[in-house]
Formats: sequence, structure tokens, C-alpha cells
Amino acid sequence: MNDRSASASSRRLHFDWLNSLWPWLCAASVALSLLMLGALLTLLVVRGLGHFWPANLEQVTLNSGETFAGQTVREVALPQQEGDERLYFTGNQDIDGARWRWVAIEEIAERSHPVDLIRLERTPWGDFIGRLAAIEQADQRWEGEAAWRHLTTLLALPINQRPDSQLLLSTANGQTLRLPLTNVLSAQAPNAMAWWQKTHAWGEGVWRFLSEGPRAANTGGGVWPAIFGTVLMVILMSVMVTPFGVLAAIYLNEIAHQGRLTRFVRIGVRNLAGVPSIVYGVFGLGVFVYGIGGSIDEWFFSDTLPSPTFGTGGLLWASLTLALLTLPVVIVATEEGLARIPEAQREGAVALGATRLEMLTRIVLPMAAPAMLTGVILAIARAAGEVAPLMLVGVAKLAPQMPVDGEFPYLHLERKFMHLGYHLFDTAFHGEDVQAAIPLVYATALLLVLIVLVLNLTAIFLRHYLRRQRGSEC
Amino acid sequence: MLAPLHSTNTSQAPVTHFADDRCCLSIDRFSLAYAGKTALRDLTLSVPRHRVTAFIGPSGCGKSTLLRAINRLHDLNESVAHSGHIALEGHDIHDPQMNVTELRRRVGMVFQTPNPFPMSIYENVAFGLRLQQRLPKRKRDDIIEWALTSAALWDEVKDRLHRSAWQLSGGQQQRLVIARTLAVQPDVLLLDEPASALDPISTLKIEELIRNLKSQLTLVLVTHNMQQAARVSDYTAFLHQGELVEYGPTDQVFTNPRLQRTENYITGRVT
Amino acid sequence: MIPPRLTTPRQPLRLLKDRVATGLITAGGIGVLLAILAIGIFLVWETLPLLAIGDTLALAKLSPLAWGTLKAALAALLFAIPIALGAAIYSALFMSARLRTRIKPTLEMMEAIPGVVVGFIAGLILAPWVERHLASALALIIWLPLSAGLAGLAWQLTKARLRRRLPLSWAGLWLVPWLALMVALALWITPWIEQQWLGGDLRQLLDQRFGMDYATRNAMIVGIAMGFAVIPSIYSLAEDALSDVPTTLIEGAQALGASRWQALWRVALTAAGPGIFSAVMIGAGRAVGETMIVLMASGNTALFSASPFEGMRSMAAAIAIELPEAAPGGLTYHLLILAALVLFIFTFLVNTLAEVVRQRLRRRYRHMGGTS
Repeated sequence: MNDRSASASSRRLHFDWLNSLWPWLCAASVALSLLMLGALLTLLVVRGLGHFWPANLEQVTLNSGETFAGQTVREVALPQQEGDERLYFTGNQDIDGARWRWVAIEEIAERSHPVDLIRLERTPWGDFIGRLAAIEQADQRWEGEAAWRHLTTLLALPINQRPDSQLLLSTANGQTLRLPLTNVLSAQAPNAMAWWQKTHAWGEGVWRFLSEGPRAANTGGGVWPAIFGTVLMVILMSVMVTPFGVLAAIYLNEIAHQGRLTRFVRIGVRNLAGVPSIVYGVFGLGVFVYGIGGSIDEWFFSDTLPSPTFGTGGLLWASLTLALLTLPVVIVATEEGLARIPEAQREGAVALGATRLEMLTRIVLPMAAPAMLTGVILAIARAAGEVAPLMLVGVAKLAPQMPVDGEFPYLHLERKFMHLGYHLFDTAFHGEDVQAAIPLVYATALLLVLIVLVLNLTAIFLRHYLRRQRGSEC
Repeated sequence: MLAPLHSTNTSQAPVTHFADDRCCLSIDRFSLAYAGKTALRDLTLSVPRHRVTAFIGPSGCGKSTLLRAINRLHDLNESVAHSGHIALEGHDIHDPQMNVTELRRRVGMVFQTPNPFPMSIYENVAFGLRLQQRLPKRKRDDIIEWALTSAALWDEVKDRLHRSAWQLSGGQQQRLVIARTLAVQPDVLLLDEPASALDPISTLKIEELIRNLKSQLTLVLVTHNMQQAARVSDYTAFLHQGELVEYGPTDQVFTNPRLQRTENYITGRVT
Repeated sequence: MIPPRLTTPRQPLRLLKDRVATGLITAGGIGVLLAILAIGIFLVWETLPLLAIGDTLALAKLSPLAWGTLKAALAALLFAIPIALGAAIYSALFMSARLRTRIKPTLEMMEAIPGVVVGFIAGLILAPWVERHLASALALIIWLPLSAGLAGLAWQLTKARLRRRLPLSWAGLWLVPWLALMVALALWITPWIEQQWLGGDLRQLLDQRFGMDYATRNAMIVGIAMGFAVIPSIYSLAEDALSDVPTTLIEGAQALGASRWQALWRVALTAAGPGIFSAVMIGAGRAVGETMIVLMASGNTALFSASPFEGMRSMAAAIAIELPEAAPGGLTYHLLILAALVLFIFTFLVNTLAEVVRQRLRRRYRHMGGTS
């Protein structure tokens, strides 16, 4: 009995290994894809959100007796030798000349977390890490604990109500400097914070990331102008793409003669969704910017030439280009919705004496509305994540003016604008201090992925809901 | 014994003619081709007013095509060509002067599967009315109540007029479609196998409704159900391969057909 | 019951409105279609001046870009095709229906992740990591399939009760922690192997022994990153094609004594072959045109090199970088537009081919009476 089962199993293994192992390779492909997707999303979430958590500051004494303070970033194996080295963010660029410091772990003699270490966000030199010695305001002076408490009350005031004061600061190795209060943006003493204070500070950090403009060559501050630019561009794009996409779909499905030509056109439109986005960018640059924009400049803005007004990339051309890019998405989705409406509904309306327009507006379009909405949402999701064509037709790394302001005509279609995706690309690849920018890049990437995924999920649920509703009809 | 199918001698397919004052629809040498294929060939018959006329015949014989031609539903399809005349109350329906939407209002049509619109019961019945003109609400409500009553549906739905029409049963949906058509007060009601998708009880209700409605308008019924034609219709036309084979009072066609072909079909020996 | 009187007014306005609206829709629809057509016309028009200049220069300038594009696309497909097709086969033929309704949209969601995000992760995170852990990264490529096989082997040997707990139809899910474990194991053990047998640093070894340079951002990184982006489109279409194969065909083959492997290889893959082909075509189209990932992960050096450890510059990336600076009407401008035209024609042809094949296949299934 024992023998028989053993021989059976060995025979199975010997004879059937191909037959029994290949499904596992296939299953592993699914698992690997899920693993990669999960790893990517986890990485984005952890690093993107983790950046705003007030990390503890460390005071380090080296074997040589030197002392500095900073935040640990990561550890890497030393090149060509045993042991690891650790990267610290030390700030104080004005004093040390650098914001980062690599230290071999062997050289570290002592590490501690003194509660009086603070971190100031300031302009123009970036973060300061050290101690607050005193605050001087007119002839008053606060020292030690009282100084810190006074600083927090001062920073709670709106910027224009803060009194003229001077901060006396000292670094971990004893150097001192004076800093006017107007240069300070925020202050933290992370080592002294309880977890709930840190949570609060984290929430504040996230909010400031979403609501403030970038600072210090995109290595600090937030992404509000990029969010605003992206949303505005996408809104303009949907305003343009929705009517035309729906119009073209109605024409193709309801009016055009359903012959060979229509079938070719339909395949063509479907394939345009697969044409690389950069090609649309080239078209936008050549036709919209140089062609139409150049002509507009010649006719209406000739007094400002040779500096172009519409003859250079801008909000209008970017939205138009993306509208063209997403047109196939809207057309295909709307057509699918129209094709799914039973012919009986159309005939029913016509048989009651409705004209074609009445049939379309009262029966067909309301029934196809969710499909159209799905198409527009998918188009928005695609446009929000698209960067390549924008690099040709009007995105800017730092737009000095927002495209919407209080000046007539309020909406400035010719201005350049910031875009989340391009902001990400530019900060990550063209920044001066990539190391400092990476946490913000993570946060930006997370935001972008969240926006796109939420839009896509909405479209999926809408489509699902639509299918179910259609299913219950019969 | 069998008349040759392609005979041009119309005397072999005798036609019941009605005097002008009794004739509602007259079809004269009407032919229709769909994408080059002939679907109806040289049909001539007239339909009497305030009677139920049934078109019977095997599937593909062109009875539904003829019905749709009377409503000019083929206008939606460009590959359809026709010749000959169809006149409604003496007016040629293909006359360029003819207002198609007005024609379709006067010639209501009910399809094989119930097709209520995705809106409330009330809105379904009001749909045709709203297309025609702006009516005061009182008057519109009156018409809707009358239409639903005529379609024998009022008692079942009067408490839930504003619910979705898709919640009704199949038979109720079909009667709702009839009510929707009646609301615009057509002269003719075309029914294309109105009961073929329904259960026996709903079928009986529809048949009873058809018999009751003929006091108000002219009905034309297409059916593949021989018993149904015998039960509800006054006149019966038998079509085969796009041609009219026999036409006469229902009793006569069913009990004493003049042609062998008709008898074979009616008794189920030929499909 | 007497019907309430209904007077019908004549309504010329309704018909007029209908005519006008139909005209407008027609005009708008044709206008939109013409606008789309204008893309092709514009690209051709703007490349015409190149004919006057002569094409040798154009060729010399464009050929490294074309090579870069092909190399990037090939690398991506090399990575994506096995995974995407494996995943498609598994979810069409083995996965439980309940799991499939969840997994398929999830994997299709991968497609929505913007290229710029994938490019950032690949260029700034993955590339330096792989540079430091080249041996581990290469070992993973061999180790992962092996560990999947190992899981299968272990499963065959386990008790029936455990097998019922962890059925093959859910393996796509429960293999995830297993693979994660195996990845961790590989990362833990390879530095030791590298130390023992490869002299401590694989990169040095490659350089000294084979004279291969190693660039941080190289074809392998591009392949992985762009493969990641292409997997969902290939997977989705190939899965559709495979699950459209009438089950009667596969069952019929098995009833005739074919093993599951034979049934799949001879019947399902043959029947769905055109569909899978079109899926791969569409994936290739996407890989050729993808801009941001190549731009961020390839190093953008216009080289003629087949080495997987060296960078390249693709046509799409070149357009994105150089076109904003090129003077309109200049030679570079026209050359870059020629590159765009080449991309346009290539993707359009590939997609059309795929679409035609797919439609023909669908018609064939309908003839077979399969469920589609």
C-alpha cells in the first residue's frame, strides 16, 4: 500500500511534470503582476505620506569629537569596503554649505534625541536644525522654554500681524546666528511631541502640501498651483471634448449611412486611441501653436511681436490638444452606449410621431447619458495623467501668474500653467537638489495616482451600474 | 390546382374591395425591396374602417414589412425602395406634401416586444401628447386617464402612475404601449404580433382589448397565430413570399378558403 | 367612453428644427472626423520639405533614434509578453469566476497609472537600486519562475485537505505572499553568492571579463518599467480572446484524450491565436509610442548598442526634448516631425491590423456558435 502510493506519486512527478507545472507558472504571472502593482502603490503611499510625519531629530557625536544634528534618511553599504554609511539631512545650508551629510556608522560615537532640538522652515536658505536660544522683540527678551512658547504664539498669528522680532539660534556644534521672524515659515520640536501632536502636525503638513505653492526651487512647499492648473486644463478640455465627441458619435451611429465607409471610419477612430500621445503634441505645436496661434498674433497682437502672445504654448492650446487626444475615448464610449439602446425604443418613439431630433433628445440621449459620462470620466483620467504632449504645448515648471485672476478677462487662456505630472517630472529630473525633492515627488506621484485611480474607479462603477440596469430591463 | 407564384394575372388572387366610404387604408400595386431583395410584390388590398383586419402567413412572408410600410418606418432605413401606392383616407402617404410625423400620429403602431420608454407610466402615455402640443395639465390628465382606461390598464396602475414603466409585467407593458398610442388618437392602429411575447392570460386580455377598440378605430393585426386571427379579426389576408394569396372575411377564409394553398397553411400542412 | 377632443395644429417648426439639427449633427460629426484626419495630413505636409533636402542626412540622424525605439519596445515586450500571456491563460482557464471579476479590473487598473509616475519610480528608485544590487536583480529573473514551479511541486506533494484550502483556482492570489517571501529570500542570499563566486561585484566582473559598460538607466530598466505599463493592455485583450474560445472546444479535446496542456496548446491557443496576436500588436504599439517612461528611465543617450545594460534614446523621447527648442521650419523641426509621422503610421497600421484580426476572429466564433 505504502509502496504503491509512493510509486504512483513518483510516476506522476516523473511523467506529468510539464502538465502539472505550467499552470503554476501562469498563476505566478498573475501573482507577480499583483505583487508589482501592490509594491508600487505601497511605496507611493508609505513614502508619499510618510514625508509629512515629523521625524525625530538626532544629535550625533563623531569619534573625532565633532557634533551635528539632523534627520536620518537611509543607510547604504559602503562602496568597496565593509560596513554601512548613513545619510543625514542636516539643513543649515547657510552655515555648513550643504544640507546632506554621509557618515560611516563606524565613526559615530554617540547618538541622542534631545528634546530641545528644533527644526525651522525658513526662507531663503531652507531648513534650520538646531536650538532656539532666545527671542528679542524691541527691548523684551525671552529665553529657553519661554522663547519656544513665545515663538509658537507668534507663528499662530497671520503673517502681517507678526511683530518685528529676532530669533537667536545656535546649531548643534555651537555656532550662532540671528534670524528675523519674517523669514520663518514654521517651527517644530519633533522630539518633544507626543504621537497625537505629531498626527496633528502630519495633517497640517498634508494640508499645506495641497494648499501652498512650491518654494525653494520646488524642493519645499506644496503643489497647489499644479493642482489648480491640472484641474483647470482638464475642465476646459472636457468642455471642448464632450460636445464634439458626442456629436461625432451620434453622427456615426444614428445618422451616417451604415456602410463600408462608416465601418472604416469607426475602426480608424478606435485606432486613434492607440496613437502615441506625443504625436498629438506635435500636431498641437505645429497647428495650434505655430499655425493658429501665430496667425492670431499677427492679426490681433502685432504690437507685442516678436514676443508671442498666443503663438507660444498656453492653456488654450494644451486643452485643445488634449481634447483631440481624448476625442476617440469619448466617441467610442458614447457609441457603445448608443449601440446598446434597443432599436425598439427608437421605433417606439418614431411610431408615436416623433421627429428624429425629438427621438434623440427625449429617448436616446437620456438613455445613453451614463455611457457618455463614463467616456468623459475616462477621458479626464487619461488627460490628467498625460504629460508628454503638454511638454510641447504649454506647460511650465513654474508659472509666475495663475491662469485665473482678478484682472480682465479673468481667465487667461494664453498663459502657461503648471501641471501635476509635469511638475513631478521636472522636480525629479531637473531640480537642483533631487535628494531634497524626492519626498515631495513621492507625494505628488501619490496625489496624481489617486486622482487618476479614483476617476477610473468611478467610470468602472458607472459602467457596472449601467450594465446591471440594462440587464433588469428584459 | 396551385396558382403559379409569379403570376401577373391578379384575377387569381381576388381582392375584397370596399366602397370609398368604408375604406380606411387602400394599398394599390405596392412593392417593396430591401437592399435589392424583393420583400413585397405587387400587393393590392383595402382595409375597412372600424374593423379588425388580420395579416397571416408563414414567417418571412412580408406581413410585418407591410405593416411597417404603412407607418413609413422604412424611412429610417435608406436601403429600402418601393413602388405603388398606399393611401390613408384617400391621401397617398408617400406624397411629398405628406407630413410624416403627422402620418405616424394618425397611424399608431404596437410592436412584438413591449417597448415602454425608461420613464414613469404617466410620462410614457404623455410622450406622444407632449410632442404634439402644449396642453393644460387638467386636459392632459383627462386624456391619459381615458387612454389608460381604453387600454384596460387604468384600474391596475392608477395608484402608481409615477412609478417606472419597466416595473410592469409584460402584458401590462404591452397594454401601456397601446395606451400610449391611443393617447395621440390615431385613426389606425397597427399591431405587429402584439401577444407573441406574452403568457396566455395576457394574450387573452390583449385580444379582448382589440375587439373592444374597433368601435374607436381601425385595427390591423399581424399574427402567426391562426386561432388568434380567427378569434379577433373580421377580415383576413393571407400572404406568402411577399404576395397576397387570399383576402376575404375571416369566416370565409378559415372555413372555406378559395385556394388550396391557403387551406394547406391554415390546416398546418404547409409552413 | 368618448375620447376628449384633441385638436392637432400644423407644426412646421418641429420639422424645421429636425432638419436643422440633423444638418448640424452631420456637419459637426464630419467636422470632427476631418479634424482627426487633419493629424495625418499635417504630419505628411510638414515632412515634405525633407524630400528637397535629400534623405541621407535624415537617415543618419534618425536611425539611432529608430534603433532606440525598437530596443526599448523589444525590451518591454520581452518582459511583458510572458507575464501578460501567462496571466491571461491562467485567468481565462483556471481562475475561479469570483476571483476573476475582481482580478481583471485590478490588473486593467494598472494601465491607468500615469507613465510619468512609472518613469519616476523606474528612473530614480529602481535604477539606482538595480545598479547597487545587479546580481540580485538578475538572480530574481531566474529565481521567480523557479519558485513558482517549486510552489507547484510542493502543492502536488501536500495532503488533499491543504490542497482544498489552497486550490489552484485561487493560486493567483495566494501565491502573492509566497512570491514576496521568495523575493526576500533571494535578496538575502544573493549578496553572499556574489561574494563567494563572482568576486564581490558583478558589475566589475562584467566590465573586466566582457567589456560591458553599465549605465544606471539602461534598456533593462526601461524594459521592466515599460513592460509594467504594457502588461495590462496585452493581458486584457489576450484574456478576452481566450475566454471567448467556446468551452466546448477545450472540453471536446480533453474528451478525446488530450491532456490539459495539449488541450491548451493545440486547441485554445490555436483558436485564440489571432486574438493573442492582436493583443501583442496593440502592446507593441503602446511600447513604441510611450514617451515619459523612456524619457525618464533610459538615460537618453543616442547609442547604437545592443547591450541590455546601456541606455538609448527613442523617437518619442527625442521629440519631447528637442521639438520645443527646434526653430519652426528648420531641419531638426522637420526631422522630428518625420519621426512623429513614422510613429503615427506605425501605430496606426499595427492597431488596424489588430482590430481587423480581432473582428474576423469574433465573426468566426459566432459561426461556431460559441458564447461571445
